[in-house]
Amino acid sequence: MKKLLRGAAVVSVASLTIVGLAACASDSAASTDSSSGKSTVYFGVSAATTGQYAQYGEQFKEAFDLAVEQVNAKGGIDGHPVALKYEDSQSDPKQSVAVAQKFVGDDSISLVFGDYSSAASIPASPIYTAGKLLQYGFNNSNPDFTAKGTQYQWSTSITTSATYTWTADYIKKQGIDSVGVSYLNTADWGIPAFDAFKAEAKKVGLKITDAEGVLDTSDDYRPSLTKAVAGKPEAFVHIGYGPDAAKIVTQLRAIGYDKTFYGGQDEESFDGTKDAEGAINGAEFLASNPAKEVQDFVKAFKKKYPQETEVTGFEAGAYDALNVAVAAAKIGGTSREGILAGFKKVKDVPSVVYGKITFDQSTRRVASPQLTPSILKDGSWVAYNG
Amino acid sequence: MLDTLIAGLLRGNVYALGAVGISLVFGVMNVVNFAQFSFFGLGAMLSWFFIVKIGLPFWLALIVVLAICGALGLLINVTVVRPLAKYLPLAAMLSTYAISLILDNASQMAFSAQFRVFPDVLPTSNLHIGNMRFGTSDVVMLGTTAVIMIVMTLFLKYGKVGRAIRATAQDQEAALQMGIPVGQVQHVSFVIASALGGLAGVFIALYVGVANPTSGLDVGLTAFVAATLGGLGSLVGAVIGGFVLGVLEAFGIHFFGDTAREIIVFVILIVVLIVRPGGLLGKVPLVSSEPLTGTFLGKGRPIRIPRWVWLAAFVVGGVVIPLVANDYVLTTGTQVLIYAIIAAGFTVTAGQAGVMALGQAGPIAIGAYTSALLSLYLHFPFWVALPVAGIVAAVVASILASPIWGVKGHYISIATLGLGIAIVAVIQLVLPQGLYNIPVPEWFGTPLNTPQAYYLIDFGVLVLTLLVMWRIRRSHLGKVISSVGSDEVAALASGVRGRNYKALSFAVSGFFAGIGGSLLAHQYTYIDPTIFTMLMSLLVVTIVILGGINLPYGAVIGAIVLIGAMELLRFTPELRIIVYGLVLILAVRFRPGGILVKNA
Repeated sequence: MKKLLRGAAVVSVASLTIVGLAACASDSAASTDSSSGKSTVYFGVSAATTGQYAQYGEQFKEAFDLAVEQVNAKGGIDGHPVALKYEDSQSDPKQSVAVAQKFVGDDSISLVFGDYSSAASIPASPIYTAGKLLQYGFNNSNPDFTAKGTQYQWSTSITTSATYTWTADYIKKQGIDSVGVSYLNTADWGIPAFDAFKAEAKKVGLKITDAEGVLDTSDDYRPSLTKAVAGKPEAFVHIGYGPDAAKIVTQLRAIGYDKTFYGGQDEESFDGTKDAEGAINGAEFLASNPAKEVQDFVKAFKKKYPQETEVTGFEAGAYDALNVAVAAAKIGGTSREGILAGFKKVKDVPSVVYGKITFDQSTRRVASPQLTPSILKDGSWVAYNG
Repeated sequence: MLDTLIAGLLRGNVYALGAVGISLVFGVMNVVNFAQFSFFGLGAMLSWFFIVKIGLPFWLALIVVLAICGALGLLINVTVVRPLAKYLPLAAMLSTYAISLILDNASQMAFSAQFRVFPDVLPTSNLHIGNMRFGTSDVVMLGTTAVIMIVMTLFLKYGKVGRAIRATAQDQEAALQMGIPVGQVQHVSFVIASALGGLAGVFIALYVGVANPTSGLDVGLTAFVAATLGGLGSLVGAVIGGFVLGVLEAFGIHFFGDTAREIIVFVILIVVLIVRPGGLLGKVPLVSSEPLTGTFLGKGRPIRIPRWVWLAAFVVGGVVIPLVANDYVLTTGTQVLIYAIIAAGFTVTAGQAGVMALGQAGPIAIGAYTSALLSLYLHFPFWVALPVAGIVAAVVASILASPIWGVKGHYISIATLGLGIAIVAVIQLVLPQGLYNIPVPEWFGTPLNTPQAYYLIDFGVLVLTLLVMWRIRRSHLGKVISSVGSDEVAALASGVRGRNYKALSFAVSGFFAGIGGSLLAHQYTYIDPTIFTMLMSLLVVTIVILGGINLPYGAVIGAIVLIGAMELLRFTPELRIIVYGLVLILAVRFRPGGILVKNA
């Protein structure tokens, strides 16, 4: 028995190695086979399919696959079909760097989407730059991703500073004079966001009674929250993501604070949290937006993925990103240089998030992105005119 | 103040429930069980599944969840943990880590990584004291902890199996001689602990409101600290530890903020361990050598490596690969090399001195930040910043670790684990922003930023590291350090102050960790605190154990397998971590002393 097990172990390890090597070898083979006769255009995706951030990797993949299907159904990029190559980085810089190197070395790849987190994207940037491969961090809201990057780093995500400058303005306009704040104490996201909020709040005269830095890995925020609302602020702001906002809003209500909650994210766990009802934030994307493009997208998405009850900004952002890349390739060509040239020229790409996307060439981000005030009602976000 | 106290008691209760299971397994198996963390997340997701998707009533779902967790626990113990724990607790610990990876990822494949809203099965905020609301769920949870404690106490005191558990915990061999079926006792303990883990997971999810497959990790770690704080193996201690930690943590957060939470937790732990080295209720361990390694050195013999292999390895690694391999292989290679440097340096502490320190991410982070700050702000060239980073890491880590060398046994592992996490948490507090544009290495004005250049630099440093390690091992000093690791009492009797040599070897390991950190920083050109996680510390330990804990060159093999394998397994992204865990278990199962060590 023991011998048998040992044999099995040896065989399994050996076969794993061979399959692995074979996989590597087949990767580098040229890929020109396609029904239309024209070569396939490959885009790389560096995202988490396992690990802590796998949730977002899944959402991206669904939207990407839908967009690719639609693009190819309409004839691809001037007849060239589009396909994606996914690599799992776990959004871990150690692995996103290796993934970047792999994509740079794969000549068939003409653009890379990702990574999910700025902490994984930014370390990979120098490699993409050196390989003259465009890194499209469509989800990277950290302004530094593009600001400290080169002409090869582009993003269609609204920056955190823009979002929270808007939020401070908006809250003040609602006639509120003081807020308690909690923010994620993360280098790549929460801190720059809070700094922007604080600066704008000071400018418009919105008083911050107390601001508590928190970690999204914590589960119990009550000690921080009791302190944050001790000064009896007129409203509460949480600068963070969906799952932590769900915990915060639940515990905020549990300690007896009942004023308006500004924050949260269009994401399953937040949307489904009972105490999150009535939360207000600035949305980039609203599935309830009546615009035709948005409704077509939502319908197509739900048709392809009937198990998904929600269509959120994550899917919308990825869907837009693929369409932007395709539009750029149509202008400049499907080579790496062509796509970069395309990004510098592309204009008014139809978007489910912004209506139309045009880049501000100096920031390599969307020119004057707009946010819509929205409120969570019966588990879904709708436009709010309060 | 009252609000904070109540908040502290509520969270303390969750920790207490988690800590009991951890302490129980440790008591009878002497194994640090990382898989316990996974049962928290698994319990939460399973109950979510049965209540929301299947529509079972809460109480029925709870029973099903406990049964599943218990059965899984039994399966794990029978197939993996016990066969290894019998003769190698170290290998067993490593395999529980692998199991934890498998469980988390299997659960993620089954339930997806999405955070789910946990059903409101019990009211969570219908009662209040002052402003602080709490719910029936909290009362039920508190009651459950109390009932479990009473039942467990009675069971252990009067039950036949319970007494067998206690006997096994006290002295396994004596228990065996008295006719106690130790194997079955261990199975029972594992089943109870796993079921308790699942139960704690359900309550955590109920308390927090949302759950995903990995959401138990943080509470799990804190519960683990609570178990240590109370005294590993002591169930009453686990409960007391849980409540003490919960309350102190709540007040700590009130005064210093949530961002200081990890620092607060581990400072409390380290202070308690210095005052009471066996925890609040635990006995001071009498073991003369670290139980994870002491018995281990005698077992197995390193495979003899002919000289031509060294030469061949040098030529292949230093000449052939940089010439032939593409950039992707080279970049993966730099990662392998850097971890090999860190792990090779770590063999002095883990292997020779016999201290299973679990917090190497701390000195790695110190090295990375030192080197990055020196070259960013003081414009030190890379070649100067690199050794300085190593020295600073060694000095700072040694000073911080100096109070804990009196702590013995598993406690030292946990204290160093805490130290590593606390160091990174302090960095996050002081420098929360990441550091950008860290200068790349240069050679007289030529930037060395190609994968090939990085690879060659790392290769050179690795060769130097291995030479230094080889010299240390052959020196008189090396022999003295080894004597401390093999038998501390005998060493003490011969006039060797074990404490000082442990500290020295930790400093040596800290130096190489700092060097590794510096290399990472200049190659990523960007660092922030999220890079230096507990997983990084565990990866270093895993590499060392896999290669052969006492063999610096074994660390190279360990790094190739563990980091190379992750890359190799890319062809199956969904199963990647699971296959990785299985390979790890198989390797440990058939080469428990390390790949390069023949079984005795």
